[in-house]
Amino acid sequence: MKKVSCFLAILTVGLLIGTAALAQEEYMPGVSRNELIIIENPDGRATDPDNFNIWAPGSPSWSRGLQQISMDTLWYIDPDEGIEGDPWLNSLAEEPPIYNEDYTEMTVKLRQGIYWSDGVEFTADDVIFTVETLRAHPEMNWGPQFEIYVDEVYKTDDYTVVFKLKEPNSRMHSTFTVRWSGCYIMPKHVFENAEDPVSFKFNPPISLGPYVSESYDPAGYWNLWKRRDDWERTTLGKLYGEPGPKYVLYVGLSQERRILDQMKHELDIIHDLSPEAAISLIEKNPYAITWFEQFPWAHPDPTLIAILLNNEKYPYNIPEVRWALTLSLDVTEIALASYNGAATLSSIAVPPTGNHLTWYFEPLQSWLKDFSINVGGEEFHPYDDTIPFQLAERAKNQFGYDVPTDEDKIKQSLGYGWWKYAPDVAAKLLESQGFTKDSSGRWLLPNGELWQIRIICEAEGRPIMTRGATKIAEQWKKFGIDAEIQGVSTAILWPNYLTPGNYDVAYAWNIETWGGHPDLSFFLRTWHSNFYRKSGDASAGSNYIRYQSEELDKIIENLLKIDFFDYEKTIALGQDFLKLMVEDMPEIPVMSYNVFTICDEYYWTGYPTSDNPYTNPVPNWANSKYMFPKLKPTGK
Amino acid sequence: MVSGKVVGYVIGRIFQCLVVIFISTTVVFIIPRMATDMSPIESAISRAMAQGQYTDPRAVEQLRNTLEVAYGLEGTVFDQYIKFWGNILRGDLGPSFSSFPTPVMDLIRNSLPWTVGLLLVTTVLSWVIGNILGGIVGCNRNKRWAKGLEVTINALRPIPYYIMALLLLIVFSYILPLFPSGGAYPIGTVPRRDWSFFADVLKHAFLPGLSLLLVGIGGWFQGMRTLVSHIMGEDYVVYAKLANLNKKDVFSNYIMRNAMLPQITGLALQLGMIFSGTLITEIVFNYPGLGLLSYNAILRSDYNLIMGVTILSIVAVSFGTLIIDLIYPLLDPRIAY
Repeated sequence: MKKVSCFLAILTVGLLIGTAALAQEEYMPGVSRNELIIIENPDGRATDPDNFNIWAPGSPSWSRGLQQISMDTLWYIDPDEGIEGDPWLNSLAEEPPIYNEDYTEMTVKLRQGIYWSDGVEFTADDVIFTVETLRAHPEMNWGPQFEIYVDEVYKTDDYTVVFKLKEPNSRMHSTFTVRWSGCYIMPKHVFENAEDPVSFKFNPPISLGPYVSESYDPAGYWNLWKRRDDWERTTLGKLYGEPGPKYVLYVGLSQERRILDQMKHELDIIHDLSPEAAISLIEKNPYAITWFEQFPWAHPDPTLIAILLNNEKYPYNIPEVRWALTLSLDVTEIALASYNGAATLSSIAVPPTGNHLTWYFEPLQSWLKDFSINVGGEEFHPYDDTIPFQLAERAKNQFGYDVPTDEDKIKQSLGYGWWKYAPDVAAKLLESQGFTKDSSGRWLLPNGELWQIRIICEAEGRPIMTRGATKIAEQWKKFGIDAEIQGVSTAILWPNYLTPGNYDVAYAWNIETWGGHPDLSFFLRTWHSNFYRKSGDASAGSNYIRYQSEELDKIIENLLKIDFFDYEKTIALGQDFLKLMVEDMPEIPVMSYNVFTICDEYYWTGYPTSDNPYTNPVPNWANSKYMFPKLKPTGK
Repeated sequence: MVSGKVVGYVIGRIFQCLVVIFISTTVVFIIPRMATDMSPIESAISRAMAQGQYTDPRAVEQLRNTLEVAYGLEGTVFDQYIKFWGNILRGDLGPSFSSFPTPVMDLIRNSLPWTVGLLLVTTVLSWVIGNILGGIVGCNRNKRWAKGLEVTINALRPIPYYIMALLLLIVFSYILPLFPSGGAYPIGTVPRRDWSFFADVLKHAFLPGLSLLLVGIGGWFQGMRTLVSHIMGEDYVVYAKLANLNKKDVFSNYIMRNAMLPQITGLALQLGMIFSGTLITEIVFNYPGLGLLSYNAILRSDYNLIMGVTILSIVAVSFGTLIIDLIYPLLDPRIAY
C-alpha cells in the first residue's frame, strides 16, 4: 500500500507538469480532447475487432461501446434510481409491456420517430425480424429463448407488435429488458440482405443509439464513436437531451496503464481497480470522482458475493452445519482482507444495492432481530446490526480512512448488519450433529474422519475473491476446521466447478438481481425444482448450490403468477424468499460485488454518484448510456 | 555435384521433420480434449450466461446441442481427428469457437504480422548484440571495462521482465514523454502503406522492442562469453597467438567461428518460438500479437484457435531446425553428410 502511494506521489509531480502543456492539444487528428471522453473497456483486446454482430454466437467485446451507445432495445431497468427517478425506463417501447390475462400474449407499443443511423425509420418490422431471425438460428444469442417462448410474432400497425406465446410467461419482456445487457433490435433493412446472419460481420454497425462508429483499431484495442448529427432521433436524445461528448473512445488497458493514464487525465472513466490501487489513485488525483464521496467509495453492483455450499454434499446438506459455518466467521475480517473494509455487507440473499435497501433490507430489520435458532434447547439470536459500525471503526483504525459517522450513511454504504461471530454457538451446533474434536482441536466428522474443506475461488482474475476466500479459510482453521482454498481461473470456475456442482464449498456468486426492480424471479425462476439438476449434470441457471424446497417452489410459482409491476406483492414474495434463505442458510451471503469505478472530472463533469444516483457509473453496463446526456464539459 | 548420400540424408531429414510435425500436431489435438477443465461448449454457455441475463434452462439445453453441431464436436474424438486432418490438408483450421464463426486463420492473420515484426527484429538484434558483446568481453575478460560491462548486463538479466517493461513505460512514456504509452500505432489511425505510418509503427514498437532486447541480450551474452572463455584456452588459439597471427583474425576466425555453432542452433530454435508471441509485452504495452490471442484461446477452451497458433509454432520450430541441420556443413567444415 505504502509502495503504491509513494510511487503515485512521485508520478504526480511529473505528470501534472506534462498535463498542463498537453491539455489543449488534439488527442487525435480532428478530435480535440475537450470534446472527447475516454472510457476503459474492461474486455481489453477484441480478438475479432471487425465483427460487430452482437447477435452472433461468438461476437467479440460488447463493452467497446457497442452495447452501450450503439444498440438499443425495448426497455431498461436501472440498477440505481434511474435518470428521472424511476429505474424502469421505456426505451424503444413507448410504455411497459401489455399482457393478456393468462400471460400468453404480450403487446408492445413502439416509440415513433426513432431512426437508424443510416436514416431508415425504426418500426415494428425490425422487432419482428429480430425475433424471427434469432428463432430460426438457435445458435445465435437469444435464439433458443425465442424458439421456446414465441409461437408467433406480428404487427397490428407499424408501431405495435404482438407476441403470441407458446406457454404463459409473465416475464417475456425480460428478454428485451436490459440489466447489464438484453436482446437488442436488429436493423431489418441491413440483415435481410445478409447471406448468413450468423457469419455476417455487421461492419460498419448501423446504430439505433446516439453514436456511430467513427473508426476502430483493426488490432482490437480501441473503438472511436461519434455523436450522430441526428441524435435527437434516438431514444436517448429524444427523451433526455443531447449527449455531452461529441466523441467517445473505448479503450482496453492494463491496470498500471489505467492508473497512469488517469493521472495524466488521458482516461476519464476507469471501469474497476483493485482496492489498494483505487484508494491510492483517489488520494492522489484531486479530480477523481467515486460513487461514494468518501469510504467505501465503490459502487455496490446488484451482484451478491456469497459462500456457496453444495447442498447435495455431506455435511453441507445439514442446516445446523451451514449455520455453524456462518457463526464461525468474523465478517469484518473478511471485508478488511478483501476490500480494505470498503465492502457493503449483506446478511440476506440479495445484494445491498439501489432500492433493495428500501424494499428488503429496511423492512426485514425487525424480523432479523427477532429471528432465532435453537441451540441445545436455547434460543440464540444470531443477527447483529452493529457490525457495519464495527467495520467502519476497524477500517478507520487499521487504514486511517475517513469513514462516515452518520448512521444512515453507514447503513447505505456498509450494510445493515450481519451474523454474530459466535464460535462457541457454532461448536454447540456441530456437537449437536455428532461432530467431535481431536486432540489437536480439529473438527472430526461424526464418522471420525477429519473434516476438510476446500474453498474453490477465482485466482488471478479477481484478487478480491482470492483474498476473501483466504480469510474465510483462515477463520475456519482458527475454529478448528481443516480448510484451504483452491484458486482457479475465472474462465473455468463457472463451467467446470459451479455449473456441474463439482465442488463442496465455493466463494463466488449466484444471485444477481435487477437492482432497480424488486422482482427476484430474474434469477430465481431457475431454482424451481422442475429445473433441478443433480451434481454431475450442468445446473439449470444459477442454482449451483443444488437447493430445493417445496416452500421455494411455491414462492417462485406465485411470483410468476403476479404482474411484474405489482410491487407490493412482488416485494412480499421476495421477503418470503429471503426469510426462507435465512432459516435454511443454503448459502452464506457476504457482501455485494463492489466496483471501484473512478471517473475523472478534469474534462467532464456530471458523473453519477450516490448523491445523484441517476444511473450505474460502471461503464461496461449498457445502462451507462444514461450517463451521456448528463455529462458536461468543464471547459478545459 | 550433389552425392546420392546427401540427397538421401536431405530426404530422410525432411521426412523426419514431417513426422515430428504430424506427431506434435496429433498431441496438440488430443491434449485439450483430454483436459477435464476444458469444454468449449460449457465455456461458450458460461460466457452467454455471464451477460447478466435470465436464460431459460431449456434454452441452455438447446444451445448446448446446437453448439455441439456448429462447432463440429459431434461424433467420437477419432471422427473429429479424421475431419481435422481433412480440413488441415485443405488449409482450413476451422472456425474459432470463441469468435464463432470467424475462421481461425483470419484471427491469426490479424495478429501474426505484429508478433513476427516485433519478435523477429528483437530476437535477431539481441542475438547479434549479445554474441558480439559476449565475444568481446570473453576475449578481454580481465580488463576493467569488460568486467564493468559484464556486471551491467548481468545486473539487468535477473530483473523480472514485467518490472523491466513497466519501468521503461513509466520512465520513457510518463515521466519523460518521449515514446507512446502503448498500441502498435496511434489511436485514431488505421494501418496504411506509407512512410509516416511506418515511422509511427517504429516509434510505438520502440519501448516494447527495447524491453525485449534488454532481457534478450543477457542470455546470448552470457552463453557467448562462457564459450569464448573456454575456447581462449584451447591449444589452437594459444598456438595462433604464439604464432603472432593478427588479433582480429584470431578473434573472428579462431574464436568466434567456433563459438558461434551452438548459438546458431539456439537462434534457430528461438526464431521458431516467436510464433508463440509474447504475452506480457502485449499486456503491458497494449501491443497486438499472438500471445494474448493464444492466452484467451486457452481460457475460452477454443480448441481450434489453440491448435492454429500451436501448429504455427510447431511448423516454425521444425523447419527452423531442419534448415539449420541442412546448412550446418556450410558453417562448420568438420560436419559433412
